[in-house]
Amino acid sequence: MGEQFVLLISAAIFCVGTAGFVIRKNPLIMFMSVELMLNSVNFLLVTYSSFLNSLDGQIFALMIMAVAAAEVVVGLAIILTIFRTRHDMDVDHIDVLKG
Amino acid sequence: MLEIATVFDFTRDAVIFAVGVTAVLASLGVILCSSPIYSALYLIGHMICLALLFLLYNAEFLAVVQIIVYAGAVMILFLFIIALLGGKKEVQENSFHRSIAITFVFILLGELCLSATVGPTKQVQGEIPADLFGTAKAIGLELFSKHLVAFELASGLLLVAAVGVICLAKFSFAPLRRRVR
Repeated sequence: MGEQFVLLISAAIFCVGTAGFVIRKNPLIMFMSVELMLNSVNFLLVTYSSFLNSLDGQIFALMIMAVAAAEVVVGLAIILTIFRTRHDMDVDHIDVLKG
Repeated sequence: MLEIATVFDFTRDAVIFAVGVTAVLASLGVILCSSPIYSALYLIGHMICLALLFLLYNAEFLAVVQIIVYAGAVMILFLFIIALLGGKKEVQENSFHRSIAITFVFILLGELCLSATVGPTKQVQGEIPADLFGTAKAIGLELFSKHLVAFELASGLLLVAAVGVICLAKFSFAPLRRRVR
């Protein structure tokens, strides 16, 4: 399959992730949308590393996976801490820092 | 009589098309389900589709890492948190902000599709032999020779994340009170 199809699939997944991040209010689903965006970029890096016959893209994708794992762990811990103190899962209600 | 290579290429293209469309549909399922548990299940399906695509594009090591790290570790963590917090359904209402957000997303999609039709990119000549491409051996050679600093920094990042999570989980904070004006 050509480069065009790969680019379109990746753009579609990225936009779905963006849409999920901006329209959902559950922080867990927002995190899943961020995962979708990271995954679409990973897919593009891997396919282009195959097209261009160079392994740098796959190494970059591996680094993105490490960063995503760290980000998910810290984010879920923060969500858990917020839920423990507030018992509320709506991101619109968390506005203490707004002053 | 068809050539065997033509049949093979056609089958490969058809499989890539089917798996790619399935990945997009699964990602739509992630954001359209109102219950978080269904979103997590759709996300697992999406990860598995992406791992299949990685396999089809000669990245077998990354496909295995995708299955183990994402579909295994990260999604199990998500499912644990959902089980702990209770998967409450959220009500979807249409508002002005929401329509602005959806317009923004469609503009983004249009821009990305436009930039996808620019034309062929510049080909670089890789030096990896074809039979070694994407295997754990090739990745390891590349990682420990050219990208050693980035690899060590990634291990430092993971260590910092682990320490941060322990700090967040161990010390319990007093409930925040809303400031009275």
